[in-house]
This record gives sequence, structure tokens and C-alpha cells, in this order.
Amino acid sequence: MKRRVILIVLTVIAMTVFVLAGCTTEKAKPSTKLQVVTTLFPLYDFARTIGGERAEVTMLLPPGMEPHSFEPKPNDIIRVSKAGLFIFTNRYMEPWAGSILKGIERKQLQVVDAGQGIAYMKAAAEDEHDHDHGDHHDDNHAGGMDPHIWLDFGNAALMADNIQAGFAAADPANATYYRANAATLKVRLTELDQRYRAGLQECATRTFLHGGHFTFGYLARRYGLEYRSLSGVSSESEPSAARMAAMVRQIRSSGVQYLFAEELLSPRLSETLAGETGVAVLKLHGAHNLGRDDFQQGTGFIGLMDQNLANLQKGLACRVK
Amino acid sequence: MDILEILSYGFIQRALLAGVLIAVLCSVLGVFLVLRRLSLIGDGLAHVTFGSTAIALAFKIYSAASLLVSLPVVLLASLGILRLTEKARLSGDAAIGIVSAVGIAAGIILASVGGGYNVDLLSYLFGNILSITREEVLIAAGLFCVVMLLLGLFFNDLLAITFNEELARVSGVQTRLISSVLVMLTALSVVLAMKLVGIMLISSLLILPAVSALQLARSFKACIGLAALQGCCSVVAGIFVSFITNLPTSAMIVLINLLFFGCACSLRRLLTPGNSN
Amino acid sequence: MSGEVVRTEQLGCCYREGCVLEDISFTVNAGDYVGIVGPNGSGKSTLVQALLGLVAISSGSARLFGSRCDGFNQWGRVGYLPQSLHLLNPIFPATVAETVGLGLLSLKRFPRRITRQDREKVDATLDTLGIYDIRAKLIGELSGGQQQRVLLARAMVNDPELLILDEPTAALDPETRERFYRMIAEINRSRGVTVLLVTHDTGVIGQHATRMLYLDKRMLFFGSFDDFCHSPEMSALFGEHSQHLMCHRH
Ligand SMILES: [Zn+2]
Repeated sequence: MKRRVILIVLTVIAMTVFVLAGCTTEKAKPSTKLQVVTTLFPLYDFARTIGGERAEVTMLLPPGMEPHSFEPKPNDIIRVSKAGLFIFTNRYMEPWAGSILKGIERKQLQVVDAGQGIAYMKAAAEDEHDHDHGDHHDDNHAGGMDPHIWLDFGNAALMADNIQAGFAAADPANATYYRANAATLKVRLTELDQRYRAGLQECATRTFLHGGHFTFGYLARRYGLEYRSLSGVSSESEPSAARMAAMVRQIRSSGVQYLFAEELLSPRLSETLAGETGVAVLKLHGAHNLGRDDFQQGTGFIGLMDQNLANLQKGLACRVK
Repeated sequence: MDILEILSYGFIQRALLAGVLIAVLCSVLGVFLVLRRLSLIGDGLAHVTFGSTAIALAFKIYSAASLLVSLPVVLLASLGILRLTEKARLSGDAAIGIVSAVGIAAGIILASVGGGYNVDLLSYLFGNILSITREEVLIAAGLFCVVMLLLGLFFNDLLAITFNEELARVSGVQTRLISSVLVMLTALSVVLAMKLVGIMLISSLLILPAVSALQLARSFKACIGLAALQGCCSVVAGIFVSFITNLPTSAMIVLINLLFFGCACSLRRLLTPGNSN
Repeated sequence: MSGEVVRTEQLGCCYREGCVLEDISFTVNAGDYVGIVGPNGSGKSTLVQALLGLVAISSGSARLFGSRCDGFNQWGRVGYLPQSLHLLNPIFPATVAETVGLGLLSLKRFPRRITRQDREKVDATLDTLGIYDIRAKLIGELSGGQQQRVLLARAMVNDPELLILDEPTAALDPETRERFYRMIAEINRSRGVTVLLVTHDTGVIGQHATRMLYLDKRMLFFGSFDDFCHSPEMSALFGEHSQHLMCHRH
């Protein structure tokens, strides 16, 4: 709640700041390349790979920012309106995307809904398997569907296809180039998927518990894991004391040795749960966004997922081949 | 769900302990702040903390060490609010508004200049009452002792300047010093307690127990006592109700404070004779 | 107790908007009862506030008990009753006893605690002023006259040598006003307390005060009430008829 208020004030001040500073930084490079604006990191990384040297890809989300509470600022809308291609994840992840596109009148702006044609999972209620149910569930912007589609690598390949189609439509002259890059990306995603399948085959436990918001539902489904998180699909909700206690009981009864914590956000709640139950905390990157340093180093999606695999194997005590 | 089971969780025990200490602290400070028309100082200083933490993060100073940057900045900002009300003859809310806007602007500018952060700033800035560590209970206890000790030592001086500054000065109270002590204690409490229980809880605990107590108190000491009692009860009740209803804890504590305020208002109506004079 | 209690030399209070006071020089000796009179906006309140160090002095000097007003710290010797009605926050939750107790802080050093003896002192003062029975009431619940007495009790509780009263009777009905003046005169006579009293009841104050100070940005008159009544400047100012009414109202 407080965060909302702060963000509103931030936006107001940001307007003034960006009116002064924003325009100058953007105008500096009139490039002939295809200008691509993406929202979240996976799209940015895929678009960067597919676009190669013939497109200039930027990400709307500032590094380090928690993505679920992100709302575009006026300068962001200007950036989108100047681009040739705008890629967003899906309407559950970026419910604001539709409304800002309505305000932009540019025929040559190509828009890609990267989640097109993907079979969505219902957003799992945080306490689906818990006793005292019966309370509200305000998945207001999630519309009941889990937006974290990129964490199923089969979906990720479909997203790559969608993005590639967008590139081809926005810049038909380079369509074959983009298609070739997308094919390479899909091969690498398939290899990643195979590493996950193999790596998670023989594990001491198939339950993985997460002290953050419900992020890894798709990943869990794909590899036959049992996944529980502290909060629902949006990271904005604050857990109740009862939910914390239920999580403590879950950790104890499942006998896991590790609790996973999310990226970027403060791991306080995970650490509290871990302290309560005597388990250790491992990071599991949801890849919504990157921190500034990772971003500047050019960390890629596949690399992040390999780190996740290593942590998952440790957390689930899998046999590493 | 029985009480013993609820109490068996360490995080609940720590939430109760640190929560009660912080609630009493904020409620007592709140009585002085509300009467001096500085009730929004909690939010204002939280925004300054946001700005100063941005400075700390820009220099890659994380978590505990960022306090070393934000604490002096926030202390200075609290004195700034005070000076603005004195020198520029601004009302408290205007002075708080100015200082908090500057704090936020600084944070935003630093964020855009530095190309974002490595972490989500707001999530690190504001704690959660359910995730208090053992060390933080000690911090809360230390803070409680320091603030209560100083409030005790300066109690009559604080009462005098809150009642009327001119009269206090003629009674030999060093009004500037005492006002500074009050806002600096507030700054210290806001910065430290915010990391523990979050800003929503702090700012509501600075205001609601005090305004409820003002409805009913029959003396200044009783007012302080009632405010502390409400703060304390709201935290305890809030944690248990959050457990039973499965609703977020801080929001529940705020709601219970509102409920107490409603009760205090209606009780006052019942107690005072119907005719207005 | 003897000697100079108040002394000002060419005191001036001038601000950007102009001068409120100019060239005020007078001396008040121990035991004097000075009525400070003058029209509205003549700087009466500013004069006493300047003496108390509450407003800045721009020229000249002012001393209380021989020490300069801007660095004065013997607050235990002074009692002050400000112009009161706008001063009280009606929701302030202090009781009468708590409010009066604050008057004792001037006698104390850090940490200023209110002890049992202090509470007895407070009760005795409340008793003297006839407001003991409302000691547990909240000040916001009192009538104007009662509030005035509470603030007077606060000003007197530390047994000051100098009592400065700014328009103390503004909120009182004529009868209470008369009693109030008599009480101040009694305090002045029996305890030898020096009194500075700001008012615009020139006639009434004349019955009690030993000295009159007539102010209109400058000091137009300072002397005894009799001299005030016979002063040709004052009769020029008021007209003989009004002066007569002021001086012979019995
Ligand atoms: Zn998410």
C-alpha cells in the first residue's frame, strides 16, 4: 500500500526529471537499425539474440526494479512510441501494456504479445492446499492466470517464435537473418531443457519450497516437481502470520533442507522461515529483471537458468551426472 | 488454533516482542508530535530515508552499513523540518512536505543517473513485522531504552514546549534544544523501526494511538499511558487476528488501531454531555 | 528586596515593517506596581515580550535584575501571564495541576522532575487563587476566567519577584475583573512582588498601580497615577473630561 503511494509520488517527480533529462539521452543516436523496446528481461534477452547486430534492443524496466509493481512513466511511453517493435510478455504480466498502446498512434509500430498461443496455467492460490481458506484473493492484475510463462522452456521457445515473427514483420528485409538467430536460440533453449530434464531426474526430494511469490509454477510442472511459495503470483501481497506459520509447517513436514529465495527483493521473509525451521536459503532467479551489475555485465537468460539448475540440484539433493 | 501453538513460532514471539516495544515507543512520541502538529513526520522521514538509501546504494553500500549513511541524513532532515517551521514560519505539514519531496527527488535522480539498482530498493527499505531477527529484537530493545530514557529525562520540558513554547521559554526551558531532541528521537525511531516493521506501521502508530488517547485522557500522563496501551494492544491483537483471519499482519494492526480510535470517539460522545458549549 | 528590577535605555524594536517601539527608557524598582497602558497597537505587549527576550530588541538595551534581557536566565525570579485566550489548544490534555506545575520548572535544573513538595506547592497556589476544586479538570474545559486564573497560578507558583501580566482581564466579566485587580494589588503589597501589568482599563488600573506607563510606540508618560492625572500632556491627549473620568472613578 505504502509502496503504491510512494510510486505515485515517484512518478510525479520522475515526470519533471525525465522531461529535463530524458529527452536528451534518447535523441542522441539516430540509428537506422530497428528500434526494439521490451518489458521484462527474458524478452530483452531473446530479442537481443534474435535481433543480433541489426536491431537495437532496450528494456523498459529499470535494472533492479521489482517488475510486478512496475507502471510505465511518461518517458517510457515516449520510448515505446518511437520504437519500431514493442514486445511484452502477456496481459497478465503487463496489464498496462494494452492501455499505453491505445494511446500511441503509429501505424509502423509492431507489437508482439510474446505469450500468444501459450497454454496458461491458472494462478495457484497461495494457500490452495492449506486448511483455513475462504478468504479474498485479489489477483487483480493477474486475472487468475500465472504470468511467469518464460520459466517453461517449451513456452520460452514459443515466445522466441512470436518475437521472431514480430521482427520479421517490422523489418522484412532482414527476416531471414532474424529467423536464423531465432533458430539458434531455440536450439539453445532445447539444450537447456534437456539439461534440466537430466539434472532433475534423480533427486532425493521432488518438493521445492519458495519464500517469495508464486514464480516457478511452469518450471515445476514441466519437470514434475512439487512447488509451494509463500505468496501468490504477485509479489506485492504481504503474507499473513497464518500463512507464515503454514509455510513453517510445510517446510518441517516436507523435510527439505533448503528454502529458495527470490531475486532482487529483500530475502527477509525467506531468512525468517529458514531460521525458524533450521534450513538453508538458496537463490532461485525468476529472471523477471536483473540487478544493475548483472545487467551491465550482459548476463543472459540461459546462464541464469543454469545457475538455477545448479541450485535446484543442491536444494533437492539430485544426483549430478 | 490455540494460543500456545501460535506462540510456539519464533517469528511470532519476536514480532510480539519487538512490535510491542516499537508500538509503545511510537505511541508515546506520537502524542507529542500530534500535539505539535508534526504527525506526518514519520512519512516525511521515511521518504528522506529512501533518498539517503539511494545514496548508499549508489556507492554500493548495502543493508546494515547503509544505516550509517541514512541515519545522519535523516537526523539532519528532521532538524531541517524544525528549522523550516521556525525560520520560514511554515506549518509543520508544509515543512514535512518540502523535506520529503526533496528526499524522494534525490532518490529518483540518483536512480536514473546510476542506471538502476542491483536490488529493489523499496523492498530493502521497509521491513515486515513477521521477519524480525533476533538481533533486530535487540535493536528494538536498545532503541526503546534510549528513547524512553531521554523522554523520561526531558518529560516536563517536552510537556512545557508542547503546551506553549513562549511560556516554556519563560520557564527557562531551552525550547530549541528540546524540540531538536524530540524530532531527533523521532528520526532515530523512524529509521530503525522502519527497517524492522515497515513504514505503514510506523506512521500509523505515530498517529492513531495518540489521537485516540486525546479523545479520552483526563490528564497528560494518562494520555501518554493510554496511547502506549493502545499501541501495545493493537500489535498483540493484530498479530493474533492476522493469524486467525489469514490477513496481512501490518494492515491488521492498522485496522485495529482504527477500531480503537472509533471506540474512543464514540466513548467520548457518550461521556460528554450532549449539549455542545 | 530593593534595587532596580527593570531598566531600559533607548529601547527600540524596529523590524522590516517599521518600528513597534522607539526610544523607551524607564526604570522599575522592587515593589513597584506599574500599569502599562496605551491604545491598541501601541506596542504594550511587544514591550513586555522584549523584556522577556521573546522578541528581538533592535536598539538600546533592556535589563532584568541587572542582566541583559537577551541572555537572561534567572527565570525563577519571573512570572509571566501571556495574553491568554488564543494561547490554549483546546484539545491539549493537561490538567490544571499539570499546567500550574510547569511554572515550577524555572526553579529547576536538568532533569526537571516534579516532586511531592512541588505538588503541595501547586495545591497551595491553587488554593490561594480559589481554584483548588478544579485542579483535576482539563484546561480545555474551563471558562475564560478560570483559564486566566490557572495561567496566573502558573505565573505565581514559583514565588516570583517580578510578575509580568499581559492583558490579564480581557476574558473576565467586570466583577471578576475587579476582584482580580484587588488580588494582584494584594500580592504586590503583602509579598512585595514587583508587578508590570499591561491593560487598557486606564481607570481601573489607576486605583491600584503605583506607577503608570503610557505608551504609543514611544513612551508618552511614566510616573505616578496622580502625576498622570495632573499631566497637561495627558489631558491634551485624552481631553480634560476623559482624564477626569479616568482619574476620579470611585
Ligand atoms: Zn513474478
